[in-house]
Amino acid sequence: MILSIIRQLSAEQKKSRRRKIWLVPLGFLLFEHLWIFWLLTHAYAEELVSGYLMLFYQFPVMNTLILPLMIAVIASRLSDIEVKGDTLKLLYTLQSPTSFFACKYLSGIKYLLFFTAGNGMLIPIFGKIFGFGNPMKVSMFFSYLAVTLCTGMILLAIQQTLSLVSNSQIMPLAVGLAGSFLGLFSLFFPAPFARLVIWGYFAAFPCVRMNWDRNTKITEFYEVPFPLFPFLAFAAAGILIYMLCRTITIKKEV
Amino acid sequence: MSSVIMTDSLTKQYGKKTVVDRLNLNVPAGSIYGFLGPNGAGKSTTLKLLLGLIRPTKGRMMLLGREVGRKNRLAILARTGSLIESPAYYGHLSGEENLKIICTLKNVPVKEIDRVLKIVRMDGQQQKKVSQYSLGMKQRLGLAAALLGNPDLLLLDEPTNGLDPAGIQEMRKLICSLPKQYGITIVVSSHLLSEIDQIATHVGIIDQGKLIFQDTLASLHEHSKSRLILHTDNDSAALKVLKQAKIPARIRGGQLILSTKEDALAAEAAAALVHSGIRLFRIYEQQMSLEDIFLHLTGKQVSL
Repeated sequence: MILSIIRQLSAEQKKSRRRKIWLVPLGFLLFEHLWIFWLLTHAYAEELVSGYLMLFYQFPVMNTLILPLMIAVIASRLSDIEVKGDTLKLLYTLQSPTSFFACKYLSGIKYLLFFTAGNGMLIPIFGKIFGFGNPMKVSMFFSYLAVTLCTGMILLAIQQTLSLVSNSQIMPLAVGLAGSFLGLFSLFFPAPFARLVIWGYFAAFPCVRMNWDRNTKITEFYEVPFPLFPFLAFAAAGILIYMLCRTITIKKEV
Repeated sequence: MSSVIMTDSLTKQYGKKTVVDRLNLNVPAGSIYGFLGPNGAGKSTTLKLLLGLIRPTKGRMMLLGREVGRKNRLAILARTGSLIESPAYYGHLSGEENLKIICTLKNVPVKEIDRVLKIVRMDGQQQKKVSQYSLGMKQRLGLAAALLGNPDLLLLDEPTNGLDPAGIQEMRKLICSLPKQYGITIVVSSHLLSEIDQIATHVGIIDQGKLIFQDTLASLHEHSKSRLILHTDNDSAALKVLKQAKIPARIRGGQLILSTKEDALAAEAAAALVHSGIRLFRIYEQQMSLEDIFLHLTGKQVSL
């Protein structure tokens, strides 16, 4: 069983040769961190004291804007080769549709992990470069990465499904793009409505909140407890979403 | 001869529409089984059912001596190869890279690739990107993929579709060579009678989801009753004369046909025509074509 999964993952790896998929998370990673770099160069010295809090506030918001699109592109790059080559009717005679879906999903997660790990490594580097005053809280760091990864994984399941069941990749990419903006706008929605927008969940479990003083124009970041139970409920819902996506994909007749 | 495929009342319905209707296929080992039927008759659906790509509404199937179920489907299919409708491929990869993926999934050593490429006569083309292949080459690559792992059974759905005449000829030769050289049983579907006639040893004819004929090709040919054709200077007057003489005859497709092959009646017909002053140019025997047989079996004209 494990050997079979390894073989199937290896086949996925071989399929993505020459697709240059690594450039997608790399490009988005560079874009996001150049943006943050620019923000930090324009920050007040008072703000840099609590620089880590600032980053853990800013990154989820930026992820809401850029990750839905990045995930849509990755899922599309991985799945359109199956649609274009009409390969499912051959693959489903060699592997079960459920394990095909799982292996395709795992191979997408690899790129998401790359982005998250890259993001995680650059945060302390920014701290060193800009000399953040207060130390980074490890629990905050890992809860941020967990939220990013978990939300990304749920979106990946949705995007992979859309890419596999659509004959053209325009629709899944449009959904990814629309999701980016909708996710960002959802941050300004009342909470019950915002909870309906899955793309906005990158910033739905904050460890840091912000106060902006209109008079002094100084932004103050402060720590709040991580909403662990709502996050675990979201992760559990993610498992259900994955199973639903898998069912939709394998129900499609090849 | 043992059976490689046996189905029992295999049925597939989409809503109220029955696409495959109580099919009892029996494919003998080592045969080339021509699965024939007009477009939309249910050929591809049947092959997809056999491969477990779609679930039957009713019925059972035995492949390679084992009843196919959800749990053992992949284990049984590990001994089969398939080429359904159009070839499946990754256009951004070379032919060899495509086959390596199949090798990985089938758990077959990559050295198999050279062997199958040689069989499909594609050695030397494997480094080219598949997106640059012609349709014929893609079909042959699909066949090479199906041959990886020395399957006992090959299911080929319209493998000559879209090929040029040379490609069709080559694909036919290839299919014909496989049972003899490698002991593979082949099921090949087609809507072309002439094609099945050239490659198959056994034939199953499907129409509107129902199997209307299944036997050897030779047995199908036995259905081709011959008839006598008369060429005269006035066929309608000749028909009257023959009817008066109580000799069974009819005009069909502009030809005067004697509905008998009895020598005595043929001689009687000739004498009657000559005596009534009708000029008889020729009498000859004509075999029923496979198209005619199909027409006879299905009771309707189809483009074959």
